[in-house]
Amino acid sequence: MEHLARFTLNWRNKTATLVLLAILLVIPLLVSNEYYIHVLITLGLFVILSLSLNLVSGYTGQLSIGHAAFYGIGAYVTALLMLKLNVSFLLALPASGLVTAFFGLLLGLPTMRLAGDYLAIVTLGFGEIVRLVLLNWDKVTRGPMGLPGIPAPELGTYIFMSKTPFYYLVLVLALLTVLAMRRIVNSGFGLSLIAVSQDELAAEAVGINTLRCKISSFIISAFFAGVAGGFYAVYISFVSPDSFTFMDSIMVLEMVVLGGLASIPGSIIGAVVLGLVPELLRFMAEYRMLIFGALMVVIVIFKPDGFWSARKRTRNAIMKDLVARNMLDGKTVKPRGEVSESA
Amino acid sequence: MSRKITLWLCALMLVLSAALVGGCGGGGEKSGEESKSAGEGGEIKVGIAGPFTGAIAETGTTIKNAVLLAEEQVNKAGGINGKQVKLDLQDDKADPKEAAAVANKFASDKSILAVVGHYTSSTTLAGSPIYNRVGLSHIGIGCTSPAISDAGPFTYRDITSDSYDGEFVANWMIEEGFKNIAVAYENDDYGKGLAEVYKSKIESLGGKVVAIEPYNLGETKDFSAILTKFKAANPDSLFIAGQYNEAAMLLKQGKGIGFKLPVFGSNGLYSDALIKLGGAEVEGLRCVGAFHKDSSSQEAKDFIEAYKAKYGLEPDIWAAYAYDAANILFEAIKNGGEDRTKINEYLTTLKDFNGATGVTSFDQNGDCMKDPLKLIIKDGKFALYQK
Amino acid sequence: MDMFFQQLVNGLTVGSLYALIALGYTMVYGILKIINFAHGDILMIGTFIGLVLVTKFHLAFVPALLVAMLITAIMGILVERIAYRPVRTADKLIALLSALGVSIFLVNFAQLVWGTATHPFPANIGGDPIILGEVHIGILQIWALGVSLLLMAGLHLFVNHTQMGVAMRATSYNVDYARLMGINVDNIISVTFAIGSGLAAAAGILIGVYYDAVYPVMGYSAGLKAFTAAVLGGIGSIPGAMLGGLLLGVLENEGAAYLSAGYKDAIAFALLIIILLIKPTGLMGRNEQQKV
Repeated sequence: MEHLARFTLNWRNKTATLVLLAILLVIPLLVSNEYYIHVLITLGLFVILSLSLNLVSGYTGQLSIGHAAFYGIGAYVTALLMLKLNVSFLLALPASGLVTAFFGLLLGLPTMRLAGDYLAIVTLGFGEIVRLVLLNWDKVTRGPMGLPGIPAPELGTYIFMSKTPFYYLVLVLALLTVLAMRRIVNSGFGLSLIAVSQDELAAEAVGINTLRCKISSFIISAFFAGVAGGFYAVYISFVSPDSFTFMDSIMVLEMVVLGGLASIPGSIIGAVVLGLVPELLRFMAEYRMLIFGALMVVIVIFKPDGFWSARKRTRNAIMKDLVARNMLDGKTVKPRGEVSESA
Repeated sequence: MSRKITLWLCALMLVLSAALVGGCGGGGEKSGEESKSAGEGGEIKVGIAGPFTGAIAETGTTIKNAVLLAEEQVNKAGGINGKQVKLDLQDDKADPKEAAAVANKFASDKSILAVVGHYTSSTTLAGSPIYNRVGLSHIGIGCTSPAISDAGPFTYRDITSDSYDGEFVANWMIEEGFKNIAVAYENDDYGKGLAEVYKSKIESLGGKVVAIEPYNLGETKDFSAILTKFKAANPDSLFIAGQYNEAAMLLKQGKGIGFKLPVFGSNGLYSDALIKLGGAEVEGLRCVGAFHKDSSSQEAKDFIEAYKAKYGLEPDIWAAYAYDAANILFEAIKNGGEDRTKINEYLTTLKDFNGATGVTSFDQNGDCMKDPLKLIIKDGKFALYQK
Repeated sequence: MDMFFQQLVNGLTVGSLYALIALGYTMVYGILKIINFAHGDILMIGTFIGLVLVTKFHLAFVPALLVAMLITAIMGILVERIAYRPVRTADKLIALLSALGVSIFLVNFAQLVWGTATHPFPANIGGDPIILGEVHIGILQIWALGVSLLLMAGLHLFVNHTQMGVAMRATSYNVDYARLMGINVDNIISVTFAIGSGLAAAAGILIGVYYDAVYPVMGYSAGLKAFTAAVLGGIGSIPGAMLGGLLLGVLENEGAAYLSAGYKDAIAFALLIIILLIKPTGLMGRNEQQKV
């Protein structure tokens, strides 16, 4: 009976995923307006960014408010490789991921000595320094003028001209990120990360190399953000320092937290919701961001655990399991903050 | 659990579809507009990209006023080839990133025949690769960077390149007897290009640039470090290659630490906003510009009169450039028809267009040559400079 | 050497303003352990209120400053009631998000009401600079330095020599014990926000006058710097915030003069990272007795 239930559950899950995937694949064929495709591409980028930050801030529990720096480094590396060295996009994209991963290593090192808010400040400082270097190192980056005219990607003889190929590219990148993140968090390494986020001392005590865990998660996270940056550079065809500011870091963090920390669907939902709301509010013109700010406050007050919090979910599952085994009275013991079934 | 997952996926899809429907609502409105105008015999659409909000929103407003005046005039005169002109105004916030987005929007909208914009050199350089890729002609109105000469065959400007203006100011300052000059420049295509041309001209004329410092448009507010460095270098005059906002702040903060010198400026300073913001500190400032109400051309007088009648204000130089650019494009559409390529063909051969800012002829780089006027702020007003 | 002293004066001026703003961050952090990200934007609103009082209501500078501080203090209390109190027991990240929501709201509110352009601040504080050798000390600099030192002295007296101040320190030391001792923690938090916001308004107005520029996103850079100063001094510590502010102002200005003006802010952040790595709790954090 139980097996059957689990089977149906999996089956329904898989169907839902397949249906969603099918919808995502045919969207460009149904939608002709370039603006909608543009919004979807941006959402794809947000998904990659929030998933990558989720690894560091959600699973490993290291608050980072400088994620846009990785995004920016990736964008500039791709732009410079393609503009100055005529490197093809297919090489430039992974290269920018690797270069960014190196900066992830650098930012991971301070976790040796710092944690919590103080680490957050270091990530903030890192983000600002990266932006200021992009702004002032004008021999290479052209400073505030940015780098215009980044060529469109070419695959063999095919040149990306319209938005549709960019849409499929970002879809592929986002799916790869989802798969990679799933592999990582479900592995032994992923469990170590969660252990580090829960109790670093205890993790150390059971033989987890916590420093290595933290630095690795920064490296992996930076890699994906760098790839997202590389995509952004060729998609917009222009990069400038003001696309990678503190506010951009904060927006990504917001997606992760609002979606629910340490949860892959959470990060995706967070990215989609926070990416869409400003677009949906566009009809309000100048009131748009005003409403958006107010909405943010309202949402966190009424939904302080995020849309899809893994921590709470796990706890609920355990509780339910216990209830099912008649070890607990489901009516009297109710975990705090349980997401009710009707939600 | 399964119910929850399904519910969330449903919610996700709902949100997605809501986005599309919501978006379609907006889109529907637009197409409705289009079909309505098509019923009236179609319309000519021209894109306008300017800094309507942001660090130099004051300039954006005069640009908007000027192009709307040009639209009104051409439509009153019967439109172009019997069709009414409709301008599509898009805000680039003087931000290259926004400019790229605006350019992408214009480029993908097939009904846009040509574009007036952008205003700053950096926004023009961010947009021009996109316009050139799809073959959409655009006329820049304030962008004076020498780099724009090479931006592509679809890029034009009705303002003179800095390589000319920079040399002009350098000559002027040497004529006035200044030898040791401090230079503050806006760190972008405009200020930097200008400062470079200016510096080499000054040095070739026997003067010296004793200190040169960049600042960032819309971001630098604290000029104390720059001013302290200038003071230490002991210059006899200051040249500002930038915009009015920063110039006013620089001079006001300079007063606080005892920095007072004869000041010369590039044409970016030529705005009444400079006097509004700078007050007494900008009195006596000298700068260049291609348009002034006391100039003798009939086109300039007509434009000033029409602008004043419509808005009750004096137009500034950027209004004049925007007005001319819009009229040049109307002329091109009149001659080339509703075809982006033909419009560009006409523009490459444009000769002696008489406008508010003088006579415009495009060379093979899409550049034009106009002699700037020497101006000075006297009693809180820009006046023609007389030695 | 003249340049050194001139930049020292410039640095102290800016530093004293950073210190004023940093106090708001540090006091709130001391009690609630949250980073009040809307602090910079409360500062910006306070500055605009001051500007309106001067230009529309034709108040003189000092009364305008005081009234603006009062109004902004009330606003600070309201922001805490609406956006922070409901999420006080939730995860700290949630409070951070709420603060960001407030921040976005305030900036866009200001842009709607006052536009995106930069406004000059006509304070009518004239007078010639004081000249010591080659070093000029502007009247505005004296004002900025004087007002901020005065306010900091006032805060010092308040925190150390009034009953309310003692209650604030007790709450900062341990919220639960303070509650057991009969301290109304909610009131203390309101007072903390009021003081922090009032000081921010004063700092904002002084910045607006000093640079002669008031604009909706001014809170961002001012807030970021002040926040850096608070962490530099050891967040939660009042003397730390003052020291951190002054130190940051001087170091970044000297750095700007001798290294590069463009990298001024980068110097500030690099310094912050280095100090944190050497002393992870800031210069005067944790061991400092006097905490609010």
